[in-house]
Amino acid sequence: MEIEQIENTQRGISIVLGALQAASRDICKNCIGLEGAKTKVGKMIKKLGMDLGAASISCEKTKTDFQTHINSLSKVTEELEVEEECECQKTAKNCKMGEGCFVNAALDLMKLVR
Amino acid sequence: MVKTRCGRILGEDICIEEEDTPTLYFINQLRAYQVVLAALKALDQDVCRDGCSLPSTVNRVIKRLGKLKNDLEALDVAAEKKESLLSKINSFLADAKKLPQDTSQTCRKSAGECLIGSGCFAAEAMNLFKAITEPEALKV
Repeated sequence: MEIEQIENTQRGISIVLGALQAASRDICKNCIGLEGAKTKVGKMIKKLGMDLGAASISCEKTKTDFQTHINSLSKVTEELEVEEECECQKTAKNCKMGEGCFVNAALDLMKLVR
Repeated sequence: MVKTRCGRILGEDICIEEEDTPTLYFINQLRAYQVVLAALKALDQDVCRDGCSLPSTVNRVIKRLGKLKNDLEALDVAAEKKESLLSKINSFLADAKKLPQDTSQTCRKSAGECLIGSGCFAAEAMNLFKAITEPEALKV
């Protein structure tokens, strides 16, 4: 993966995490949607770390800076608050916004990263 | 009348009675603002801070929040409920006004700093509102 792609992915994940943090303060905290998103983002970050390891970046400082950012994204993801017992909040009849889902819409922001 | 919890906004559980569609409309909108503003705050830490799309989106959010506030003020609901929702709108408005609003800056794509392709995080963040499909917009 090129540096540019790594950078773009980092930018996307930062924004998605901002949105997911807000969702975790809503009833989404008890939702399997957020639980799944947390897992997905965790996997994205793990892959990003592996891609960084495999990337040919000659400048050691640049690589270290990327790794530091990835580590901070990983920490934010781990700290996303999700209840242990989750249930889709639509099924639980708490989330009444129709078929859409803020968490999935936030994840869709990653589709912008080419 | 049975009440159900249908949102948690700014740390407060919001419950409504079944069939209270007008209040549900405002609750869903505020739930969206909570997420959209968080995304915009994240963008404010990104190169978008010096571009024109983030301020443009922030201005749209401020305008929409103003309209939401007017619509809520015109709504015939219990004063206590109205006050609670208005305080949240005011809080979101205050948050939004802390974000960049100067649209005269150069787009970060044109400046060669934003390399994500044709998409735009700031513009796309507004699409989070589209996740709400029920209830339909109020005719105030």
